[in-house]
Amino acid sequence: MPVYSVSNVEDLRICVVMVGLPARGKSLIATKIVRYLSWLSIKAKCFNVGTYRRLQTIHPSASFFEPDNTEGEKLRREAAVLATKDMIRWFEEENGVVGILDATNSTVERRNWILQICREEGLEPMFVESWCDDDEIIMHNIIEVKTRSPDYEGQDPEQSVRDFRERIRNYEKVYQTLDDESLTYCKIINVGAQVIINRIQTYMESRIVYFLTNLHIRPRAIWLSRHGESMFNLSGQIGGDSDLSPRGRMYAEQLPELVRQSVGDAPLTVWTSTLKRTQQTASKLPYPKLAWKALDELDSGVCDGMTYEEIEEQYPEDFKARDDNKYEYRYPGGESYRDLVIRLEPIIMQLERQENILIVTHQAVLRCIYAYFMNVSQDQSPWMEVPLHTLIKLTPRAYGTEVTRIKANIPAVSTFRQKGSSAKHDATPQTTAELHLSL
Amino acid sequence: MGEPETHVRRRRQSSVFVDAVHDFGEDVGPAPGQLYSTDSGRLFHAGHICIVLVGLPARGKTHLAVGLCRYLRWLGVKTHAFHLGDYRRAEIPNDDIPADYFLPNASSETVMIRQRIMSNCRNDVAAYLLEQGGQVAIFDAVNPTAAGRKALKTWFEEKDVQVIFIESVCTDQALIEENVREVKILSPDYQGWDEKKAIEDYLNRIHSRIPQFETIGESEVTSNYIKLINYGQRLVLNGLHMGYMANRILLYLMNVQRRFGSVFFARAGKAEGGEIRYKIDCNLSEEGREYAKKLCLSLEAHREKEHQDEKAAAGTDLPKRGLVVWTSTRSRMIQTAAGFADKGYPVRERAQLAQMHPGICDGMAYEEVTKQYPKEVEKFIKDPYNFRYPRAESYHDVAVRMEPVILELERTSREDLLIIAHKSVLRVLYGYLMACSATDIPFLEFPRNRIVEIKASAYNNQVSYIDIENVDPDLGD
Repeated sequence: MPVYSVSNVEDLRICVVMVGLPARGKSLIATKIVRYLSWLSIKAKCFNVGTYRRLQTIHPSASFFEPDNTEGEKLRREAAVLATKDMIRWFEEENGVVGILDATNSTVERRNWILQICREEGLEPMFVESWCDDDEIIMHNIIEVKTRSPDYEGQDPEQSVRDFRERIRNYEKVYQTLDDESLTYCKIINVGAQVIINRIQTYMESRIVYFLTNLHIRPRAIWLSRHGESMFNLSGQIGGDSDLSPRGRMYAEQLPELVRQSVGDAPLTVWTSTLKRTQQTASKLPYPKLAWKALDELDSGVCDGMTYEEIEEQYPEDFKARDDNKYEYRYPGGESYRDLVIRLEPIIMQLERQENILIVTHQAVLRCIYAYFMNVSQDQSPWMEVPLHTLIKLTPRAYGTEVTRIKANIPAVSTFRQKGSSAKHDATPQTTAELHLSL
Repeated sequence: MGEPETHVRRRRQSSVFVDAVHDFGEDVGPAPGQLYSTDSGRLFHAGHICIVLVGLPARGKTHLAVGLCRYLRWLGVKTHAFHLGDYRRAEIPNDDIPADYFLPNASSETVMIRQRIMSNCRNDVAAYLLEQGGQVAIFDAVNPTAAGRKALKTWFEEKDVQVIFIESVCTDQALIEENVREVKILSPDYQGWDEKKAIEDYLNRIHSRIPQFETIGESEVTSNYIKLINYGQRLVLNGLHMGYMANRILLYLMNVQRRFGSVFFARAGKAEGGEIRYKIDCNLSEEGREYAKKLCLSLEAHREKEHQDEKAAAGTDLPKRGLVVWTSTRSRMIQTAAGFADKGYPVRERAQLAQMHPGICDGMAYEEVTKQYPKEVEKFIKDPYNFRYPRAESYHDVAVRMEPVILELERTSREDLLIIAHKSVLRVLYGYLMACSATDIPFLEFPRNRIVEIKASAYNNQVSYIDIENVDPDLGD
């Protein structure tokens, strides 16, 4: 998908205004939008009003949020002003494209105040409301997210839930849902059971909505693994479509048990690329499988099948150019990491909508997928080390993604090449010592 | 860089001057904007999908069906639109529909006809999806009752075809009337009628013919639906946990508008020094500046004439359409648009419209390239759409990065749009609007002495040309 070019849309600045009662997953949605846009090289940032409010009141009680608590109202308003000011500064000084104002913004009055600011600053306002009356989802959110919130740090969880429900009731007293047909908005009802989209003005806004409609907020996890060690890994060649090495086949044998320990009895779907080494790696897994062309390794064009030394020898300029900007570098006749991100966009969208998935794929592809979930920048992601024979579990949570690594105890060569080196693939078994950027 | 003059290739259709959106098309490899291909020929691992349109006549359903079809094909999804009206016209000569055709308590004879027509269309849809390798079928019909929709859904789901309903709702009377004016009253039935009366008559006919139209309700069994209200001003999605494809469709629906204006394509004038290098941002030459003036005059004269013709046809005073100009960020493109800027038309520079990157071939004549890179040229001739010269972009790369432009182009509705860009970009955009195949796109020509005009109608897009006099056609850069 060509979205990277959107960042060049001249002068377009969008202010996404979150709307919704507490425990409706607003912050989760806001951080996800930021992560998705950043992954596509579009400058985005979230401004959470609660963070600004916490600077003044560390552990507020529910009564702080009562509509007629004038002191509370004043402080909350000041926090909103601070967040908005910072956002405007960010647009100006850092050429931001999409800024997100994350707060309840629960009244028409508050929203009109924001609209006024948007008009003055030349920002396109776009409201995103998460509306929910399903008690189960709300309770889940409260327990999962809110009782772990900094507001309740070190407090009795049960007391916290009670206090939080009280806080929500205070907001409910004044809450007004979005229904102004002249505004640009997207209203998500009960986690996507119904979605209302009103007056989308620009392609960029449609792109944000498109992402939102792909999201689901049910708990699940994603497992990632590279294929087992391949014959090409042993000979230090890149690309190709080689078979697994004997050690790679051992990994394939051991993978079902490794997966079972981590996944348990939960349902799982396995995705592989169309290349032999990923399919052989997944061959023993007792789950439904799907082979995606989009998960094939980064195409190294004329260098396919060569070793790094050969590349350095035959294409010295290319070798250097790749080190200088690995994200943008495109092998002659092949792909760059940026190309790969474009090709992976449908995969990411599909991942956002799926339940438990295990992806068995290749180093560069895993780097891009991992970068998406872990918010790794583009100058770092192509340099991350992804060891062979290791299962990685990603658990998306509201305040970030949790990573667990499960190593199969099977030695493999290291295929990691540090910047500026053409060192042969390390033939000795990898140590557990991890580099700064390794997964 | 130039291209070979002659080459061997397969042409999918008789002419690239005809909108191919209704062709079934033989298989000639990946579509212009396709990200990847699969052995099954299906994309995104979605199964077979039938998009069932719902809505009274004059709600823009046909336009929607054709537009969606164009967009999905561009993405490489094998799509075809089936218009029930075509089947009705085949069955009932002269479209002489029985009066009770749309009524629930129709005579048994009418019901038979109705069922025959429906079943012909439905069977074709099923054959397309299950036997002919189609992935998405668009079923364009009124589908007025909940019961009928339920039956349709059941029928398709038994064949493992997923059904998505899209209802086009118009609450804005002016939109409906505009639609009737554009599409319906041009038919022979209304020749010589007063426009207002014709519209009124047509709408009355709809209401008496289809008195029981039922909008899709939330509790209906067809609860996987999208409601498109006033052409995308508002969208309501229900129960749509449906997969990537449905969401791509939604992305299109958020951007599509009924287009009344024309899209014009023009080349930039020649650059200073004659030689064009990608890396150097040249100004226009003297000749180029002359060309820019002539381009502006010719287009303005043409638009003025169109305006007069439209006024005469409508019999009333219509406001003249606005004009927006898009250029790439290159100086010679912007300078070519200068005349339009002087006249007060908005000129938007868009980075996405940058010409195809020539890579190592930058600044080289075609003969030079053949001499220095014979192997590459060989590969290029084999697959001109997908081949990348070292360091260069392919047409496919250009097409993929063009998606925001395409969707924004779909957003421009009331105004004329002039795109001044390099021929590599014009080829790709023309390819989208005229549903050209990837084999044809690299060879489309845009002589400098001719402005291309593409007009949208509900059923297809049409091309015409405006000559710019005393300009060298010059097919080069």
